[in-house]
Amino acid sequence: MPGTPLEKIRNIGITAHIDAGKTTTTERILYYTGMSHRIGEVHDGNTTTDYMEQERERGITITSAAVTCEWHDHRINIIDTPGHIDFNIEVNRSLRVLDGAVFIIEGVAGVQPQSETNWRLADRYNVPRVIFINKLDRTGADFFRAHATLKEKLDIVALPLQLPIGIEDKFVGVVDLVEMKAIVWEGGELGAKYHDEPIPADLADRAKEYRQLLLDTALSVDDAAMEEYFDKGDVEVATLKRCIKAGTISGAFRPVLCGTAFKNKGVQPLLEAVIDYLPSPVDVPGIAIAAEEGEDEHVEHVERRRIKADPSAPFAGLAFKIINDKYGTLTFVRIYAGTLKSGDMVMNTTKGHRERIGRMFQMHADKRAEIKEVYAGDIAAFVGLKDTTTGDTLASQQDQVVLERMAFPVPVIDISVEPRTKEAVEKMSLALQKLAAEDPSLRLRTDPETSQTILSGMGELHLEIIIDRLRREYGVEANIGAPQVAYRETITRPHTETYTHKKQTGGSGQYAEVKIIFEPLGRNEGVVFDNKVVGGSVPREYIPAVEKGIAQQAETGVLAGFPTVDFKYSLIDGKYHDVDSSSLAFEIAAKSCFRDGMKKAAPIILEPVMDVEITTPSDHVGDVVGDLNRRRGMIQNQESSGSTVIVRAHVPLKEMFGYISDLRSMTKGRASFTMQFHHYDPVPRNIADEIMAKSA
Amino acid sequence: MHAARLHWKRGRQEEGPGVHRTLEWIGRNDAGEAIARVVRILGPIWSGWRTYRAVALDDEAKVIELRPSRPEGADWLACVGGQVVGRAPVPLQAVRAAEAALGGD
Repeated sequence: MPGTPLEKIRNIGITAHIDAGKTTTTERILYYTGMSHRIGEVHDGNTTTDYMEQERERGITITSAAVTCEWHDHRINIIDTPGHIDFNIEVNRSLRVLDGAVFIIEGVAGVQPQSETNWRLADRYNVPRVIFINKLDRTGADFFRAHATLKEKLDIVALPLQLPIGIEDKFVGVVDLVEMKAIVWEGGELGAKYHDEPIPADLADRAKEYRQLLLDTALSVDDAAMEEYFDKGDVEVATLKRCIKAGTISGAFRPVLCGTAFKNKGVQPLLEAVIDYLPSPVDVPGIAIAAEEGEDEHVEHVERRRIKADPSAPFAGLAFKIINDKYGTLTFVRIYAGTLKSGDMVMNTTKGHRERIGRMFQMHADKRAEIKEVYAGDIAAFVGLKDTTTGDTLASQQDQVVLERMAFPVPVIDISVEPRTKEAVEKMSLALQKLAAEDPSLRLRTDPETSQTILSGMGELHLEIIIDRLRREYGVEANIGAPQVAYRETITRPHTETYTHKKQTGGSGQYAEVKIIFEPLGRNEGVVFDNKVVGGSVPREYIPAVEKGIAQQAETGVLAGFPTVDFKYSLIDGKYHDVDSSSLAFEIAAKSCFRDGMKKAAPIILEPVMDVEITTPSDHVGDVVGDLNRRRGMIQNQESSGSTVIVRAHVPLKEMFGYISDLRSMTKGRASFTMQFHHYDPVPRNIADEIMAKSA
Repeated sequence: MHAARLHWKRGRQEEGPGVHRTLEWIGRNDAGEAIARVVRILGPIWSGWRTYRAVALDDEAKVIELRPSRPEGADWLACVGGQVVGRAPVPLQAVRAAEAALGGD
C-alpha cells in the first residue's frame, strides 16, 4: 500500500504571468522543506526546476518541472509551469492533472493577461486554487489594489486570509486573519526564522474588518459552522479552516495570501495553506470519463462516471507529458486509481493496444528516483511505453475506461525549416517527430508545393526554442525561413454547387455526381458535415469518400491555399452509376465541388489577432500608442499605475513580428510587452490581395 | 444603537441528488417568535452551457430575472415582518442587516 496516506498528498501546480515569481517561490518551498540546501535564483541561472540550458540562459521557464517535497507529514508534488504564453500547453496539461493550484499575482501589476488565461484554463478543469500576491517588497506594490484586480479581471470572490504588515521596503510580515495574529520574519537564515506576535495596533481595525469579511464569506458554505457562530459569536480555528477548505474546493471563493518570495517572506504560511485548503486526491470528485462517440463533450449537465482515487480499484491513469532524453522516452502519468508495478501490462484505451510498464520513476526536476510501485494519487514517469502520447489513457484490462480528453491550443505561427546538409535530412525528420511528440502545441507538416518542412507553433519564442533544441540536443543545423502567419480561409455566404465527375479512359470509367450546400459558420465552430441525401441518390458506402474529399481539399483553401475553417457542408443530392462509380470517383467529385463551390461562396482570409499588453513609462505612451495604430492595432484600454502605463490592444499577429526590438528602441529599452492569441478576424482587402499575390 | 441579537436557526432546506443547502434562516426573539428571515435567492441555474443567476427585481421576490453575470450583493434577502430590509451576497451579512433593521427602529 502507498507510503503516504492519500489524504496527506497534495498534487499542486504553481502558475502565473511571466516573471511573477513562480520559480522563485518554488525554490523557497524546496529550501524550507529541506529538499534543497541552497536557494537557487532565476537571475543566477541555478534554480532546481529550470534545468534546461535554454531556461537557465534566458531566465524563463520553458517546460513544466515536477518536484516533490514534504511539509508537516504531507507529501506535496509540485509542478512549476512556464509563464510565457508560447509555452501555454505546459500550463494546460499540468492543470489537467493537478488537484489544486497556487496562482501567483504580482503585487505591483495585479492580474496580468497570462494570469487571466491560466485562470480560465483552471476554470475549465475545475481546479481549486489559492492566490498568492507576491513581490510586496517592490516599489509601487499595493496589496489592496492587486486584490481589487482579482475581482475586476477575474470576477471572483477573492477572500483575504492575510493582510500585509508594511509595504515595499518596509514589508516585514503578515496578519493571519484565521488565527488573528501577526507573523513576522526575522531577516536571517534566508527567511527560515519567523515568529508570531500580536497584531500591530495600527492594523487592528482593518484586521477586525477583514476577519469579519472572512467569517461572513467562509461560514456561508457550512450550515453547522453558521450555527456555531450564532451560538458563540465566533468559531473555532478548526471550524473556520474546514469552511475555507470547503469553499476553496467548491470555488465559492478563492483564498488570498501575500508575501515576497524573493525576500523570503510569506512562503511558509503559503505551504500551510496548501495543506489546509487545497484538496488531497480523495477530496475531489475524481476525474470524469470521456464523452461517448458522438456525444457533445461540452454539455455540462450530463453526469459522466467519475474515477475516484482508490489504490485498490482497477488502474486508471492519464499520460500528460512526454520528454525524450539520453535515456529514452519518459512518459509522465497521473495515476487516478489503482496500483501498478513495474512489468505489469495495461491497456492504452485511447489507442486500443496493450503496453508493458517498464521502469518507473519519481521525478525531481531532471533527477529521478526509481520506484517499484505507483498508487492512486501519484504522479510518476514511465520508461518503455511504445505508443503512448500526451492525452492517452492507460487503464487496467478489467475496466477499460477512457478518461476525459485534453484540449490543445491552435498554433498561430509557421516557419519553414530545412537541414543544412543532405545527410541531416533523416536526422532532422526524426528529431522533429520526437519534439512534436513531446509538445502537442507543435505541428509538423510538409508543404505539398515546395516540399519544405513547416513547423507551426504558438509564437516566435516557442519556435526559436525548438530550433535551438534541434541544434543542441539532436545536432541538426537547419536553415530557417522567416516566420509566417498561420492564416485561415472561410466563406461568408451560402452557395449550392453541383459537380459531375465523368471520365472514360477505356475499361471501366469513373462517374460520380454530388450536390453540396456550403454555408458559413461562426468563428471556431470548425467544419460540420450534414448528410441530407434521401432515396439513395448517393449510396451510403460513398458518403465517407465525399467527407474525405472535402476534408482533404479544405486543407488547401481556394484563395491562397490556407486551411478552410468554420463552414458547414450538406450533401443534398447526387448521382451514381452501377459500374463506373467508386469511392475514388466520389472523392474526386467532392474535391472539385469544394474548389468550384467555395469560390462562389464569397471566400475571405482570416488572420490571428493578438491580445497585446505593453507596460511602458508614461513619457513614452504617445509613441507606443501611435506605433500600435500604425500596426492596425485597436486600443482596448490604458491604465496608469504610478509612473507606469499599461496599454492593452488587439493587434494582428502579422504586424507584431520583431516588435520587441522596435518597442525597445522607441522607449530606450524601458517598456516590455506580452501577447497571446485572442481571435481570428478577416484581413483587410489590400492585405488579402498581397497574400494571394504571394501565394500565386 | 445596538442591533438586536436574535436566535437564528435553519429554516427551509433544499435536498436533491448531491445538493443539501439551507434556503432560509429564521431569527427568533427571546420569546421564541419568528420575527426575521434571511432568504436565499435560488441560483445559479444551469441552462445548457451557461450559468444564470436569479435576481429578485421586487422586494418580495415575485419578479425574478435571470442574468448571466453574478449580481452584486443580491444572493440573500433580509426580511423583517414580510418586508425586505436588505440584500447581501452571503447569509451572515443579511443576518446583520436584519438585526440592524430591528435594532435601528
